[in-house]
Amino acid sequence: MRNRVAAAFALVLVAGACSETTDDGPSVDQQRTATGVIATDPKDSLGPAPEVLGATKGGTFTVIREVKISHLDPQRVYSFAGLVNAPLYARTLTTWKDDGKGNLTLVGDLAQTPGTNVSNDCKVWEFKVKDGVKFEDGRPITAKEIAYGIARSFDPDLTGGPTYVQEWLADSADYDTKWDFKANKGALPPGLTTPDDKTIRFEFAKAHCDLPFALSLPASAPLPPDKDTGVNLDNQPFSSGPYKITKHTPGVEIVLERNEHWDPATDPVRHQYPDKFVWTFGPDPNAGANRVIADSGPDQSALAFNGVPSALVSQVTGNAALKERSIISPTPTEWRLSINTQRVTDLATRQALNYAIDRDGFIKSIGGETVAAPVTTLMPPATIGYQKYDAYPAGANGNPDKAKELLAGKTPALVLGVGDDVVERGTQLKSNLEKAGFKITLKTIPADAKLDETKKKDNPWDLYLDSWAADWPSGASILPVLFDGRSIKAEGNSNTSYVNDDAINSEFDRVLAMPPADQAPEWAKLDERIMRELAPAVPVYVEVAYYLHGSKAGGVFVSSVFGYPSFVNAFVKQ
Amino acid sequence: MSLSTEIARPEAPPPPNGIDIAGRSPGQLAWARLRRDRVAVISGGVLAFFLLVAILAPLIELAYGIGPYDQFQEKLRRSDGMPLGYAGGISGEHWFGLEPGSGRDIFIRLVYGIRTSLLIAVMAALLTSLIGITLGILAGYLGGWVDAVIGWITDLALALPFLIFALAVMPTVELRFYGPRDEVPTWFRVAVLIGIFATFGWTGMARLVRGQVISLREREFVEAARACGAGLGHMLFRQLLPNLWAPILVSFSLAVPAYVTGEAALSFLNIGIRDPTPDFGVMIFRSIDYLQGDPAYVFFPGITIFALVLAFNLFGDALRDALDPRSAMSARAAPPPGGGVDAAATKDAR
Repeated sequence: MRNRVAAAFALVLVAGACSETTDDGPSVDQQRTATGVIATDPKDSLGPAPEVLGATKGGTFTVIREVKISHLDPQRVYSFAGLVNAPLYARTLTTWKDDGKGNLTLVGDLAQTPGTNVSNDCKVWEFKVKDGVKFEDGRPITAKEIAYGIARSFDPDLTGGPTYVQEWLADSADYDTKWDFKANKGALPPGLTTPDDKTIRFEFAKAHCDLPFALSLPASAPLPPDKDTGVNLDNQPFSSGPYKITKHTPGVEIVLERNEHWDPATDPVRHQYPDKFVWTFGPDPNAGANRVIADSGPDQSALAFNGVPSALVSQVTGNAALKERSIISPTPTEWRLSINTQRVTDLATRQALNYAIDRDGFIKSIGGETVAAPVTTLMPPATIGYQKYDAYPAGANGNPDKAKELLAGKTPALVLGVGDDVVERGTQLKSNLEKAGFKITLKTIPADAKLDETKKKDNPWDLYLDSWAADWPSGASILPVLFDGRSIKAEGNSNTSYVNDDAINSEFDRVLAMPPADQAPEWAKLDERIMRELAPAVPVYVEVAYYLHGSKAGGVFVSSVFGYPSFVNAFVKQ
Repeated sequence: MSLSTEIARPEAPPPPNGIDIAGRSPGQLAWARLRRDRVAVISGGVLAFFLLVAILAPLIELAYGIGPYDQFQEKLRRSDGMPLGYAGGISGEHWFGLEPGSGRDIFIRLVYGIRTSLLIAVMAALLTSLIGITLGILAGYLGGWVDAVIGWITDLALALPFLIFALAVMPTVELRFYGPRDEVPTWFRVAVLIGIFATFGWTGMARLVRGQVISLREREFVEAARACGAGLGHMLFRQLLPNLWAPILVSFSLAVPAYVTGEAALSFLNIGIRDPTPDFGVMIFRSIDYLQGDPAYVFFPGITIFALVLAFNLFGDALRDALDPRSAMSARAAPPPGGGVDAAATKDAR
């Protein structure tokens, strides 16, 4: 009896101990930065997209995800899963040519070019529609259907989508009261016109140089008015892309099959390799990854959309076959420790926080370099024109001595608000910052309320973790959104540091008025200036995408724009 | 502890050859039986060990040289935060390895985790026993409307859904006592946890005691005492209570492990103890995610809570056998220890 117990005990220990954990796991390329341009040559916008190496036609490509995609209606798509799924069935005015390594080119998709800045002041834009673009029933796509798609995004019933274009056209945040879609069916919102079947024209009251970027979101997808089923379009969108939805069981499965009316010659980015795409919803991240690891049956051509959970990372890296099937890439989602500057008014304290931060320790505590990569800038490296700098160089583990020096003997008492689902992150920061002389009080906030509460101007906390993922990789969709003090409201602020500096605000205006191509280096300079002069936050990390696919799945890459797997090149190995 | 002569039973060992007849109290008899039971001795030893560890935790920390909040993140792998080395980072310095991510020492956190868990479980069991005994003995002896009212309250407490109540109470109480910028101290959460357990846990004990008292109150010794004009307090605490210690002790010893696991479950639901306070529940439920990646992290807290709960349960069983040997045969066959108590008790009353 005693021997058997001892043997069982030994077996458990051996099973756990049989392999040594060494420090040679995968790591992400942290030097990688984005290069991005807006295509000036109309040839860039022409199809067909170059063939993917080794790609073959046929097969079913499966995507396994824990929860369903919140919206399929292109005008309502805004979640990451929705944004990477939409290109399969929805074409847009512009789109990104993306090599998955950060090299981006904005090209025309339904439009012949990524837009003409008619009077060079960003107030009037024109797009010419390509020939030969068709819906799933074979009828041609014209400027009328594209304009109708944009018009229906004014409908207050169709919630969830981006609101940039609507707000710019209406020149107001209350765009749905400024122009009532339901009362004006058949008409177009103010500023949007279709002079002929091939031309769509935007006229704004103010300059909006980011329009070509904003139109790359699925909200600019076309729809014929007679196919508009209102809120029901969410279940069965009308396709303009290489695939059409043939079966949709909400929360369980989406089946996309080839759309024979899609012409590859008109499309600069998409392919039509697999016969079918199937989204399967249900398995949690561990179960999804384990299915792909097992690699049997249809899972051989599957992708686990929830990524590799950190508990499974050592298993994946320890196995050469699995390593080959994994994709690792930084994403544009950046997390920062926001400092509520209304409460922490002393600049030296904010700078000391920047010196004190132990990024290395924090990243290990949330799952290591397969989950996060350190960052010292306010814009993520995936931003066009990104320049790396470190305004408060303190090494990977922080410099408590330098922080103490700045604090000059003070021990600021700060309250760190943290969601009650990630208390460990709070305790990690607390023990980190207390080494540098801060007195940190950890306050847990119910996870579902945390976002709303920290976005309130008079929230009671000094520090909280915040994230930002821009809708397009331009500084214009990051810095003014996060740090322009003139937009601070009572609730719903993105400027959670609540900085309001006149000099910086006027810089935002100056750069926003520049031609889009010239803005990029200016944003990088402004990023550094904000950090040096205001230190409104402690940049901590960008999320890292770590995915695993089956042995027969190919062509998947992580979108440089969204940081999630893109399916435009996906194929099934035969 | 004085049992009335009524209870003295003939199974005292027969005098060996009529020589050396020593008078032994029922307590001494039970103790002798307990010492003869190997399961009881072993499980009792394990319990004593855990109690010692819990009490001496600061001394162990001193000898071990590492505190429960010390982090060793430089000993974690860069790519996924797993401890370097073999079996979750086990080494001469870190006996049970390190926690993935935070890099805290598992051994010293277990030592302090035993302390937290045992404190909550024992306090909760004591409080529930106190409430249960008082209400049960009153209801059983007085009967009538007192019994009816206490019966209703018991039914009410049983009908309230425990988890939903706990989920609702914890944040509400926190908000009531602490402002949006105040940290909620660990002792407060511990006190609220014990309170929640006490609110719900006393019903079983109350019913058990009530049943026992009802069967005892018609006995001759009770009638005799009543005839002598004994007051209510004397009746309850001098005459009745001493006859109830056996089932109460058994029930208590079985309640403690239930609270250990109950507290662990509540921590998982975010309404119990929170990180960074060392605690079994937090450790086990955090470790479940690493079952595949770092089994050692699951193994040590798991095996410890298993040993602790098993030792309590076995000891409770053995204690019942020792206090009431007539139940030994049937109790060993009875499946759940909790049900066994009642079976033994009713038999005793017959």
